[in-house]
Amino acid sequence: MNKELKRIIIVLVGICILFVSLIVYLSYFQVFKAEIVKKNSYNKRLWINEEKILRGSIIDRNGKILAYSEKNGETYKRFYNYGNLYSHIIGYSYREYGKVGLELEYNNTLLNISESTPLNELKNIVIPNTEGNTLKLTIDHHLQEYSRELLKGRKGSIVAMNPKTGEVYSMVSLPDFNPSSLKEDWNNIMEDGDSPFLNRATSGLYTPGSVFKVISTIAALETPELNKQYECKGSTKIDGYTLEDYGGKAHGKVDLEEALVKSCNSYFAEKSIIIGKDKIGEVADRFMINKSISFDLPTKKSSFPYKENLGKTDIASASIGQGKVLVTPLNMVLIASGIGNKGQVVKPILVKETISPEGTVIKANSTQVISDGADVFTANEIKNMMVEVVKRGTGTNASIKGVRVAGKTGTAENSSGKSHAWFIGFAPADDPKIAIAVVLEEDGTTGGKTAAPIARKIMIEALNTVKE
Amino acid sequence: MLNRNVNYKVPRNLLVLFELMALLLLFIYDKDNLDKTTFISGISLIFTIYISNFILLRISTGDNYIFLIVTMLISIGIIMIYRIDKTIGMKQVIWVGMGIIVFFITYFIIKKIKGWKDWILVYGIVSIVLFILTLLLGTRTKGSINWISIGRFSFQPTEIIKLLMIFLIGSYYTNYEKYKEKKYGSYYLMGIIYVFIGFLFIQKDLGTVLIFYTIFITLQFIYEEDRKLILYNLLFFIVSGLAGFFMFDHVRIRFETWINPWAYIDNKGYQITQSLFAIAEGGFFGTGIGLGHPDFIPEVHTDFIFSAICEEMGIFTGIGIIMLFLILVYRGFKIAISQQDKFFRIVALGISILFGIQAFIIFGGVLKMIPLTGITIPFVSYGGSSMLSSFIALGILQVASEELDLEEVQNE
Repeated sequence: MNKELKRIIIVLVGICILFVSLIVYLSYFQVFKAEIVKKNSYNKRLWINEEKILRGSIIDRNGKILAYSEKNGETYKRFYNYGNLYSHIIGYSYREYGKVGLELEYNNTLLNISESTPLNELKNIVIPNTEGNTLKLTIDHHLQEYSRELLKGRKGSIVAMNPKTGEVYSMVSLPDFNPSSLKEDWNNIMEDGDSPFLNRATSGLYTPGSVFKVISTIAALETPELNKQYECKGSTKIDGYTLEDYGGKAHGKVDLEEALVKSCNSYFAEKSIIIGKDKIGEVADRFMINKSISFDLPTKKSSFPYKENLGKTDIASASIGQGKVLVTPLNMVLIASGIGNKGQVVKPILVKETISPEGTVIKANSTQVISDGADVFTANEIKNMMVEVVKRGTGTNASIKGVRVAGKTGTAENSSGKSHAWFIGFAPADDPKIAIAVVLEEDGTTGGKTAAPIARKIMIEALNTVKE
Repeated sequence: MLNRNVNYKVPRNLLVLFELMALLLLFIYDKDNLDKTTFISGISLIFTIYISNFILLRISTGDNYIFLIVTMLISIGIIMIYRIDKTIGMKQVIWVGMGIIVFFITYFIIKKIKGWKDWILVYGIVSIVLFILTLLLGTRTKGSINWISIGRFSFQPTEIIKLLMIFLIGSYYTNYEKYKEKKYGSYYLMGIIYVFIGFLFIQKDLGTVLIFYTIFITLQFIYEEDRKLILYNLLFFIVSGLAGFFMFDHVRIRFETWINPWAYIDNKGYQITQSLFAIAEGGFFGTGIGLGHPDFIPEVHTDFIFSAICEEMGIFTGIGIIMLFLILVYRGFKIAISQQDKFFRIVALGISILFGIQAFIIFGGVLKMIPLTGITIPFVSYGGSSMLSSFIALGILQVASEELDLEEVQNE
């Protein structure tokens, strides 16, 4: 009997251990694993809650509806009114393919989901939230359409913004895709070597070429001891490596302004050695290169790795925007904006306002200076030089009758063998309403010839039509 | 007088309070289609449970907690099942009603009839007949043949065989001395149990094999004097486990989905991952009845009812259910220890282990702590034959909790 009792107790203890281990495991799962498990996209609860809510509309700055949802039986269906036009801004939201663009970044706002606190959850039980907020963008639908029309048939990107407020008026990236027919196009898009899903405006990293010279010029202006005079012979040898001017053309006797106006490579290559990589790098940093730009969409960092051990040839080619320098179009338009806005770089804004279902504005994005790019005098000097570029230099194709336009062209050599055509600028130069960056990817043409006219047209259109 | 009465009945009254509140919650959740029959059956169920607890107190001198624990489990189960599917919920109410009747019938039959310990042959033969009938008439579900349908009514013979096996082991060890004298006497029991397990293998019902094995090995551990038999048994267990793994696809799949269900999330790992989502969503306090989505889990009202409870009532209720089972098993062991009659002692142990291991296997399974085996939670999951056989087992346990007639004890 005694032996029996002992064994019974052993079995009982065994069963107790099993049950306690269940409790421990359950608690462990809930504390450490549950949060990760819940977020799995196969968890239909994530969707079911969303599908009960009327997803908010997305409208442009003038109230034009760009995307909206409509009841379709039990659930809601999302409509994208302008197909490809907003693929890189609004993106899409589908159960099967997930979300990208503003649909992703502003998901909670569009669904009016507040952060999960006990109080909010209680509130949600009492007054269930059925309608999401509307997003009012800074985009001008007409300018957006116009910009895409001008870029059509090419690869590349256009970003146009207000240099003082940071409001982005148009942002195009080609190739793009149609969010409305994503299901049919999915496989083609995935196999497309030109990556239509890439938002080139915010995440495309390009060699800037000569548009980067505005940074070198500011660095030169901030180096008072630098001798600004130079005799250009059409090419220069740095560390045994020959840097040629465009077409091997000798510019003769040039000062800093002439060098920028004629986009003289030898000048900047020679002078950059004296200015030093750290000075150029510091100016670049102030204009958001090597910095992450906070924006309503995800952005890539532009880069100029000046802190690395760079040789003389590296510094020389960086000064003319070749070699190790890579920039995003969004960053370049911020540089143009910063110069136009008396040296102050403002935060780019894509979502102007969040409007509640009742029609009240619950959040408005305000202008914010994110960096002091240059002081007022330096900004003024570089601006005047950029005005000369458009007046009589490489950027004459961007000139507008009766308006002072500041700009800089670029023709960036890259590994593809076909150069990128660049133009950055702003207008009117003394009180800018619009700043722009245009990049034509692997276009094989010069910035002055192809990018500048596009920029010109958009600037004219913006000055005439966009309501601030 | 009144005061003493109320104090005395506190757990029972608490249960009624819990049930009334749950019923109220159900109505708030389902306020759009208030239904008279639901209300009546809800109230009558609460009444039946209350009265049963009351009657039991009067007629049984034994343990009066086990029935209370079980009715608590049933209440939680029914609320959840009803919330998932009303018609199934209503059916479950009927099953519970029948279960309680069966409980009392079993209680009286087991108590009045003497000589249970001597009918080892009957248990063995009836079990084998049931096994053969299953193979002849059985239908296959989820890869196992374990259901017999007679007209509209279908049941799982293994639910009854489990209890027969406990009786069989009980009467074997009660008459252990007698068998031991015979040649190969100590192998008799092993032989017949392995015949059972062989049948289960043919049915491919490996979940039940696991339960049979556990009951057998633990009872053997307590009562077998020839200790090497236990070792043989464990070896056989490992061998048959491996055999099951290599012979049956559905065992392999269960194993793979236990190791990493996320890799098979849209096919064979779907059910278990949905279960994990449900538990994760519930958090500590649950989403509230009617506010979660346990209906995303396939077969949620039977095998996965625990995940549904965790989602809507929180893991605190889940832990509560685990604790209730722990107390039930503990009471069962306590009953066994205080029982003088050896046969009923073994039977009480067998039934407690049955409840315990069955609950553990399915709790651990839906939590992905151990590989998933499709079995029901006694008293909580939906299912007629599971409910009835669990109540029969409970009725037997109730008898075992009483001091039995002196002559029985003398016979030992």
